[in-house]
Amino acid sequence: MRDILSSVRQRLRRVARATRTSGDAGHGGEDGTDANGGGDPTLDDGAVVTDGGTAAGSDGIVDRLDDRFGDDFTESAPFWLPPFLLVGLFVYGAIAWNFVISLTDYKGFVGPDYSDLDFEMYVRAINDSGVIDATVNTFLLVVAFTAVALAFGLALAILIDRNIRFENTFRTIYLLPMSLSFVVTAQFWLWMYNYNNGVVNIVLGTVGVGPIDWIGNSSLVLWAVVFALVWQFSGYTMVVYLAGLRAIPTEHYEAARVDGASTLKMYWRVIIPQLKGSTISAAIVLMVFALKAFDFLYSLVSGYRPPNGADILATKMVREAYSTNNWAYASAIAIILFLMALSIIGPYLYYEYQQGNL
Amino acid sequence: MMKDTELNRRDVLKSAGALGAAGMVGLAGCSGSGGGGGGPVEVLHGWTGGDGATAAEALEEAFNEEYPDTELDMNPIGGGGNQNLDAVVANRLQNDNPPGAFANWPGPNLARYEGVLGDVSDLWEETGFTDSHVDEAVDLHQYNGAFRAVPLGSHRLNCLFYNTSVVEEAGVDPSSLNSVSALVDALETVASETDKIPMTHGASGTWTTTQLFGVTLLGSAGYDEYMNFVEGNPSEDAVRSAFESLATILENYINDDAASIGLTESNQNIIQGEAAFIHQGNWAAGAYRNAEDFEYESDWGFKTFPGTEGMYTLHFDSFLFPSNNPTPENTRTWLEFVGGEAAQVAFNQYKGSIPTRTDVDMSEFGPYLQQTAEDFADADERPPNIQHGLGITADQRSTLNDVISSEFSGPYNVDAATQGFVDAVSN
Repeated sequence: MRDILSSVRQRLRRVARATRTSGDAGHGGEDGTDANGGGDPTLDDGAVVTDGGTAAGSDGIVDRLDDRFGDDFTESAPFWLPPFLLVGLFVYGAIAWNFVISLTDYKGFVGPDYSDLDFEMYVRAINDSGVIDATVNTFLLVVAFTAVALAFGLALAILIDRNIRFENTFRTIYLLPMSLSFVVTAQFWLWMYNYNNGVVNIVLGTVGVGPIDWIGNSSLVLWAVVFALVWQFSGYTMVVYLAGLRAIPTEHYEAARVDGASTLKMYWRVIIPQLKGSTISAAIVLMVFALKAFDFLYSLVSGYRPPNGADILATKMVREAYSTNNWAYASAIAIILFLMALSIIGPYLYYEYQQGNL
Repeated sequence: MMKDTELNRRDVLKSAGALGAAGMVGLAGCSGSGGGGGGPVEVLHGWTGGDGATAAEALEEAFNEEYPDTELDMNPIGGGGNQNLDAVVANRLQNDNPPGAFANWPGPNLARYEGVLGDVSDLWEETGFTDSHVDEAVDLHQYNGAFRAVPLGSHRLNCLFYNTSVVEEAGVDPSSLNSVSALVDALETVASETDKIPMTHGASGTWTTTQLFGVTLLGSAGYDEYMNFVEGNPSEDAVRSAFESLATILENYINDDAASIGLTESNQNIIQGEAAFIHQGNWAAGAYRNAEDFEYESDWGFKTFPGTEGMYTLHFDSFLFPSNNPTPENTRTWLEFVGGEAAQVAFNQYKGSIPTRTDVDMSEFGPYLQQTAEDFADADERPPNIQHGLGITADQRSTLNDVISSEFSGPYNVDAATQGFVDAVSN
């Protein structure tokens, strides 16, 4: 009901506006090419005051822009244009420039030569086993971390949502790690993973396992990092899911119960399918965090050369840039990383667009 | 009235937006072109902790005393070894906003700054540095036929430090160790006679292992083969046998938690009597000096790395001179000071390094550094190090560390590591 009302109101507004604009531009003729029709000063003034100020004198362009992009395109320009330009310059401009640099052979401190552009750096990256390992590790980190953190967060959220005692306390405890900086968590996970006196190995030792060299074993270290990141971020996932669970009406639970569903079946068939939105938004945030695991790895070894088996594209990129000043090569790696991020964000944006949320 | 306010609000918004955009563009313009003029000499260095910080303070004090008219702006940038310092320097050089001078290593390492270093050859001539500094310093501070930097001090790299009580408990006499295989035997004795760590190693970064490879190669293959490696004609057999010894040591005689600790924690094992030996540059001795009840000879000792007797593996801490210098005259004053006796005494006695000048009175230095300075003066050979800039370029060093990381950080693949090292340095 409310939807219908608002759409009616909107349509009315549009009709009113259309009559007004045709009122001041229309005199010059419908074809619009010799449309200096707004030339009549009195009409023009009227348009500025009543319509709220499209600039006088350039009506032709302004109208055409408005026709093309919607009727308040120029009118709203002061709101969106400055941020649009700033973001365009500093984000997309920088990405574009980075791409151009990756096509040069820029190295050292004598400026890049833009006259000779080719894809040599990308060819080099494809043949560099270090880059391939880093790409695989980045991918594994993103996928494993996101999947485990989602599952873990969902389990926590469901448990907390079952009206337990001290609910708020538990929620705070689970969320707390999220508030710590990577620099802190990396350092104490480093201590906890210590072979001799780390708490992880001590605990495993009491059940007769280990000790295990978590950091030094190249096939384990990435999973050790994933575990530490899951510990830090499953609290966040829990909060997102908890909000999703709270939004589900109790009738759904009751109806499932009445129909005789077991608890497991109720969650699996009725509740979890309704958490799709929460899952998608949490997954996107987690994936972006995983791509930013640079901070964690940097703090883990106090440098940008992570333990063997845990090198990711971000650390490889910084290493190429700052330990050997291979700017062009580092830029190429940055573009690869950017494309990976885009391949995560892109489908999400498309999905949102399909849903009509954008 | 209503219409008027609406117009005003919009005008305000428009101009605010325009102002914001202009401001951002202005800011972006500014950051590129800071500095200028003949103000204080800005000096970037990485000595932020412990003895390094004390030494840097002493250096600053000595400068202010000797040149009260020249202003000095010391900027320490710590963290990640010298990684953060290097990153800041790289960004500033790239933005054409160089500092007056910055700390780094000379030698082939200067190649990474090709095109942005100035010429201080006349300074070396005028001040007589070419005569007062050791020959190696004179050679290694030149790049493309001109002097680019001035040395402040020198650390020694072919050192083996030990905890006296642990080696005594094991019945090992460090002074008798004169080859890499004798060292391996001694480590075996420590392992079987005591429950201590024979050799402590901090491998959270790869540089300690690369550095240990360098000294093992020097100790097992000798000076000539080592120099062949550095100069780009490595003998595969020599490299392989060094890696074999290294694998024996790393597989059997180091601490289990090597991968998760760095130099500082590793060195603690010596101080706390948990380990017998450690290989490091003599900056490690700074921690012993600062530790309580831990005295030279009675508690800890020094032995030239077995097989490298009569040699001194060189390391230099130097200040590099960027071209397009914001304060050319004052920076020259600074560099003249750095290469002089007052600075070298003030800095090195706290840093745990020794002067690169040959005419310095060593009476203010402790007995350990006096001995180091004697070894330095009497050394038959002073080979350049490979991990700290003097022997090979930054590119090559980075490749070596990649190889160590992927092939030699456990499990230890001697064949792949040998191949990787030989390929990396071959001309």
